Formats: sequence, structure tokens, C-alpha cells
Amino acid sequence: MTLSIIAQMTVSGSLMGLVYALIAYGFQLTYATSKSVNFGQGELVMVSAFVSLTLITLGLPYWLVVLGGLFFGALLGLFVERAGVRLALEQRSEGWILLTIILGLLFFSVAENVWGRDDRPFPTPISQQPIHILAVDVTPVELSVAVGVFAIMGAIEIFKRQTLLGKAFDAVSADRDAGELMGISATQTVKLSYALSGVVAAVAGILVSPITTVGPTMASALVLKAFSVAVVAGLESGFGVVVVGMFLGALESIASFYLGSGWREAPGLILLILALAVRPTGVFGKTLIRKV
Amino acid sequence: MWKRLLLIRGAELLMFAVLLALPLAVQNNYLLGLLTLLSIYGILLIGLDVTVGYLGQVNLAQAAFLGIGAYTAGLFVTKLGAGFLVSALAATAVATALGALLALPALRLEGPQFALATLSFTALNVTVLNEMEWLTGGAQGLSLSRPPLFGMSLSARGFYWLCMALFALVWLAMRNLLASQWGRAFEALRDSPIATDAMGVGTYRHKVAGFALGSALGGLAGALYAFNFQYLQPQAFVYELTVILLLGVVLGGRKSLWGAFVGATLVALLPNLLSNRTLFEFMSGAGFLFALFAAIRGLLRKTMRPFQAIAPVVATGVLVVGGLLVSNTEDWRKAIFALMLFSVVVGLPEGLMGFAAKFLSRLFRIPDPPPPAPSQLDGVLPPRRAMSGGPLLEIRDLKRHFGGVRALDGLSTTVREGHIHGLIGPNGSGKSTLVNVVSGLYTPSAGEVLLRGQPLPRGSLFETARTGVARTFQNLQLFTGMTALENIMVAMRGNYRRSRNLPLVLLGLGRTEEKQAQADALALLEFVGLGADWRTPAKDLTYGAQRFLEIARAVACKPAVLILDEPAAGLSHPDMRRQMEIIGRVHERGMTILLIEHHMDVVSELCNVVTVLDGGKVIAEGTPGEVKRHPKVIEAYLGEVEAGEAAAETPAPVPAT
Repeated sequence: MTLSIIAQMTVSGSLMGLVYALIAYGFQLTYATSKSVNFGQGELVMVSAFVSLTLITLGLPYWLVVLGGLFFGALLGLFVERAGVRLALEQRSEGWILLTIILGLLFFSVAENVWGRDDRPFPTPISQQPIHILAVDVTPVELSVAVGVFAIMGAIEIFKRQTLLGKAFDAVSADRDAGELMGISATQTVKLSYALSGVVAAVAGILVSPITTVGPTMASALVLKAFSVAVVAGLESGFGVVVVGMFLGALESIASFYLGSGWREAPGLILLILALAVRPTGVFGKTLIRKV
Repeated sequence: MWKRLLLIRGAELLMFAVLLALPLAVQNNYLLGLLTLLSIYGILLIGLDVTVGYLGQVNLAQAAFLGIGAYTAGLFVTKLGAGFLVSALAATAVATALGALLALPALRLEGPQFALATLSFTALNVTVLNEMEWLTGGAQGLSLSRPPLFGMSLSARGFYWLCMALFALVWLAMRNLLASQWGRAFEALRDSPIATDAMGVGTYRHKVAGFALGSALGGLAGALYAFNFQYLQPQAFVYELTVILLLGVVLGGRKSLWGAFVGATLVALLPNLLSNRTLFEFMSGAGFLFALFAAIRGLLRKTMRPFQAIAPVVATGVLVVGGLLVSNTEDWRKAIFALMLFSVVVGLPEGLMGFAAKFLSRLFRIPDPPPPAPSQLDGVLPPRRAMSGGPLLEIRDLKRHFGGVRALDGLSTTVREGHIHGLIGPNGSGKSTLVNVVSGLYTPSAGEVLLRGQPLPRGSLFETARTGVARTFQNLQLFTGMTALENIMVAMRGNYRRSRNLPLVLLGLGRTEEKQAQADALALLEFVGLGADWRTPAKDLTYGAQRFLEIARAVACKPAVLILDEPAAGLSHPDMRRQMEIIGRVHERGMTILLIEHHMDVVSELCNVVTVLDGGKVIAEGTPGEVKRHPKVIEAYLGEVEAGEAAAETPAPVPAT
């Protein structure tokens, strides 16, 4: 009995954990090119979800809704890069931390005034009826999360490895200055990474909305856990965030079952602080060699 | 001198006098409430400024420490029936302890990871306060009544005076601290953590101390907060409050007590600003005009980037237009904060006080402080002692591998006391790695380094510097934002016996040491010919002067061995001559020097002994003349040489070790 509960919790928790992994992957994309992350990433997830919801209520077909949501996510990503990140990078300061927090706050406020403070359901053509696989119930919506996450991460990884633009992306990640000397514009590459990161956030929003419903605060808990995942896994390894994300998802779903739902956030946060104490560059991160 | 002191101290005195007297003049409970809040936020923001301003880290945990302090004080009052003093002290102590506990892991991180860790801490704090219902009352909240002070119950006015007095005390203590070696260490580690360690000051311990101190002030403010509102809820200490507090510090101006005061005023007034329509429209309009004026001026004079000039105008413009369109400003609270903060961070990165300080010092013609009188050089850098010439620094079979690359591959050599020992070799021969291993930046893979027969600490710049090895850096690592004099003062650890004791510093008892250190530092600056530039920020010095300053700073550590890593790199010829002359004079004063150089002429002229590296090994060692003719050296520098040709010209080579 308890074993089957644990199995159930593990499966549905780790499927949820994939969403954390996806958002954390968005951090990695921008960190690679610019050593910066968008602290308002959660608001990107939320606003993209709201825009998609609006498109649905306008009666657009689902695939068009997804496309529209992704496009909007990319636009938001570009806006964040322009308004919050570029100046700080040019001045080689860490002002972007504060500026992206500020932009997140702005998006949040706009969303709660435009779409209201209430949580709203997100209709989806995918069935919510659980299917029974090996003593565990899984809904197709939950499975669609897994499919979506692996699809977008796979697509971006293939893009990075197989296209010239992707190589440029990798080159700037490895060494910004050397990339510039080879005629690759670092600014353009950073823009691209922010657009991609926005797309990833939008995917996360569209995938998770049918499960969590859509509201201004839908992403604040998600993004906090994504931060934990990114720091614990390290900001370099895409494989790492998937593993850590699934682990954390399972852990917190079990914790909330045994300790009460209020403690849901705690494992991620404790894991984070522990990981920092033991291995500051992340479990899957590279050890840095300081150069002088 | 007196005018400067009078104006600056006078302004402080006047402000506190007016604030303290105000409730006597105006009997108004509303105003009293505001002023009380102002003093509480003042303490809180001064604490936040330690990490945000001085340590230069984005700290998102200050709201959590406010909450921790508030709840600790609240629980001491309700559960234990403690008095004012005990509960306030307990709040401060708990916040300090938790601050140090968080700082230990979190401050090993830089930038974004640190911000993430503190953000998570804030979230965790809210979760714990909410869920530990048996203790905190959870979401229901915790009610308390203001505890008596020494058995006397406090009126609202009495409580205000107490808060304001505490604010003034914190102000004084912080001013003493920031003007001391501690304050300089905070600033130094922000500019260059590596150099701070290499001067033996200790980046990590100062970071942790700074963070714990900021948290302590958060805890104290929290106790006052609890006694003021007499009702606590976990929801009051969330992320949003953290952002507002950051707004206060940034808008007021980082690294400034006045800035914290201005910021606190703003944070206390914010709710009113939003509820009072006329006030809001007036403020946003004023902000817009100010941004517009600054933008036009900045663009015409080309002192600002276009984005920096235009973005604040757009943001404040949205604020003005939005204010006219929106029916309820309270609903748009967060967007209003965001736009205000955005304009300030982009357009006025130094904050209001940073801006005002420049303006006011011009307006009142506040004179620059006069230079201190330099000490006698003999007192600072004693002349040559009797040199034994015995082994001082012994490097034994040292190895350092990076993956498969053997940067150092079993290297041994000995630096003798009183020598200038040259270290040369082609690019990639392992010179820099050797310096980095000896100075403790890298941990050796095998082998050891002995100083006077004692093994040096492994892999710790800080410990190694404390044992008596000072170094300069090939790529300069100055404390760029500090003046030339301050750069040297950071390194003068030996001058500060009393200042290591934090309570004494807070009481302002480090002044005489401070004066002595200034005078000694100036003597060293004059020694390298930079006496006139003592007030110039290091980043504004010429490249040559920066190189000289780095040597003076390393000498200020009074090391047993001074390692100079390519001190002539990139220097023009006249500067190079001057640099060689400086090195010569440092040597004359009895300093043992390990000199890494590319320029053969520099090495030939200065060094007693030269060690040549190639492929991580010693290939030759001897006097400059011997080494120059060594066939292996010629081969390493010029490529393959016909064996017979080289052998015919050279006398018996010195065998490599």
C-alpha cells in the first residue's frame, strides 16, 4: 500500500520536476552566453501562459496557440535582454540581477491588472483522464509535460550542435572575446540566448498551466524550485538539470504527502543551501580554475 | 580641515537634533508613527548597505532577517515574558547567528548564485514561519504588547526616542567601522577578492563578518518592528519587502549612511505616496522632469550612453501617463516600484545621495582633506639588515597538473636570503603556475615549498600571505575604486593591532592607529614616487603608476619574500627603467625578491641568480651571464641549435638541478 503511494508520488512528482528542469534550462541558456540569468523568468512563464490563454479564448486552434505563446515568450526574452541586461553587461557590472528582478515585478503587476488576480483553468485538448500503468496512475497531460520538455530541450541541443548559428552560440559560451575576434557578435548571440530562454519559459508555461491553472502567482513557486535545480545541478549541464529536477520533484511530492502540503517548498530550499555548502559549483558543474 | 569637519558632522548633528525634537514641536500621532518607522528602516537599510554597497553582493535576505528578529523578539515577549532589552538583544543575537550560518556556505558564491541563495533563504523563512504554527501562530499571526524597558512602560513618544537614539548609535558605530581597516577590507574584496587574500587580509572572513553584521542590524530592526506594530504575520516578510528595501538602498545611494537615511524615508513614505493621488502625480512629474533634464544634459555632453539617458525618461514618462489613466494606484503598486527602481538603477546608479554629495561639496566648496605627514621611511621599511645568504624559500619537487597538462613537472630550486632571484622561461614553461602554487592560489599536485624550513600552507593565498609571502600580479589586481593611499593601507596589516577587535572599532577607538597607518602608507607611496597621487583612485592612475602602486602595496605587507610577476609587462621604456630602479631600491632595503620576467635585460641587470624553466622543469640555473650562454636555454628560446656550434662557444654549463 505505502509502496504504491510512494511510487505514485515519485512518478507524478518527477514529471512535475521536469518543468523545474525546463525553467532551469532557460537559466543555463543565458548563463552560457552572458554569465547572467533572468531573475524574472517566472514572470515570463506566467505572462506567456496568460497570453496563450487569451489566444485560446479567442478561439484559435491549439497548435496556433502554442506557436503564438512561444513567439510571445521570445519577444519578452528579447525585451528583458534589451532593457535589463545589455547595459549591465556593457559596463561589466552585476546590475542585471537587480534589473531583471525589477522587470519581473513590472510584468507581475501588469499581469495582475490585465488578467486579474484569480487563478483560471487552462483548457487543453489533451485528456485529463488517468491511465493506469504498472500500479501508477498517470494522466496524458502529465505525460505531455515530459514529451514537451524533452522535445524542446532536444531541439535546442540539436540546434546548438548541428547549425552554424548554434556553433556560434557555443563559441561565445566558451570564450566571449575569442568569439568576437572570429567575427561572431557576442551581443547578437546573447540576444539569441535570451530569445531562446523566453521560448523555453513559454513552453514551460503552456505545459504546466493545465495542471496548475493560470494565475499571477503560478510561477513564483515554480521558479524558486527551478533556481534550486539550476544551482544544485550547476549552470552548465543540461543533463544535470533533468536529473536534479526529477529528483527534487519526487522528493517534494513525497515530503508534502508525509509532512503536509505547507512544507512542499522546503526540500528544494534545504537541498539548495546544502548543495551550496558542499559543492558551490553544482553537482554537475565544472570546478573553476582561477586565473590571474 | 575644520570647515570640512564642521559641515559634515554639523549636518549629521542637526539632522538628529531636528528628528529628536520634532515630536515636542508637533503633537501628531501620525507623524510620530512615520518617524518611528523611519528610524527602524534606517537601521535595517544601514545593515543591508553593508552587503549591497560595501560587499557589492545582491542580498535578497534582509527581509528574512527582519522577520527573524521580529519573531524572536515577539516570542521572547509572549512566551518568556522577557523585557525590552533582553528580547531586543535576543533578536539581534539570533539574526547574527543565522546570518553567519547562511553566509558560511553562501558567500563562497559570487553574484547570481549568492542572490539565488539569499532569495531561497527568504522563501524558506516564510515557509517556516507559516508552518511552525505551534510556535509562531502561523498565518494567524502573533500578537504582543510592547515590553517595558527597565520596568518602565514606554509611551509612543518614549519608544520613538529610543528607536531614534538606537538609529543614531548604529549610525555612529557604522561610521567608525567603515572608516577603519574593516571598511577598507570590505571595499577591497569587492574590487579584487584575489588581491585581498594575497595581502593577507582574508576575503572570506570579512565577507562573513560583513554579512553577519548586516543581519544583526536586520535583527535589531526586527525587534523594534515587532514592538512598534505589536502584531506579526509571516506574509509581511516576503520577497516583495526585500525588493522595496533594495529600492531604498539603491535610490538613497549605496555606501552611504545618508543614503540609507534617504532610502528609509522613502520606504516609510511609500504607502502614503501611493494612497495620496496629488502627491503621487507631483512626485512622478518631478521625477520625469529630472530624468528629462539629466538625459538632455547627458546626451549633449556625451557623458551618458543613449540607453542610460533615454530609458529613465521612458520609465518615468510611463509613470506620469499611467498615473493619469489608472483609477487606483494601489493596484499598480508593484509596477510603480518597478518603474521607479528601474529609472534609478539605470539613470542614477550612484543614488540620490551619491549625486547630492557631489553637488553639495561643490556648492559649499568643501575642501579636500589635507595630506597626512609621511612617516620616516626607515621606520616603515627598515634599511638592509645583515643578510645571511642562506636558503629562504625552498621549492622541492613541485608538481602541478591540469588534467593531462603537466604545468609543473617536478621542479626544485632555492631562493637565498637577500637575493633577487630571476625566473625566466618561454611562454607556457610554467612560470605563472609556479608563482600561483607558491603563493597559494593553486594547490600543488605533489611536492612542497618551505619558507625558512617551515612548509608553506597549501592552496591558500590568504594563509600563505600571512606566513610572509607577498606577490604582485601579471594582470593588475588593484583595488580600483579606492585611492592609492587606501590601496596601500589595506595591506598594512601589521599596523592594526587594536583594530582587529570589532567592538573597539565600533566605539571608534582605532583612530591613532589609523593616523599612523596613513602616515606610513604615504611614506611608501613617496618611496615609489607616487606621493602626489595619494588621493587618486587607483583606476585613474596611469598604467605605469598602477604597476608601481602594486609593488608598493606588496611591500606594505612586509613579507619575507616578495614575488613580482612580470612587473615590467607592457611598460614603456622610461617606465620600465623607473620600475627597475624601484625594484633595486626595494632590494637595497633588504627584501628578498623572486622576479618573473620576460625581458632579458631586466633580469641581467637586477638578478643575482636566474632559474630557467621549460616544460615545467628547471633547465638551467646560475648567474645571468652563465645562463645566457647555456645551450639548453638557447635551444628553448631560439629553437634547435647545432650541438657542436653551441658547445664550442660556451664554457662548462651549470648543470640543471
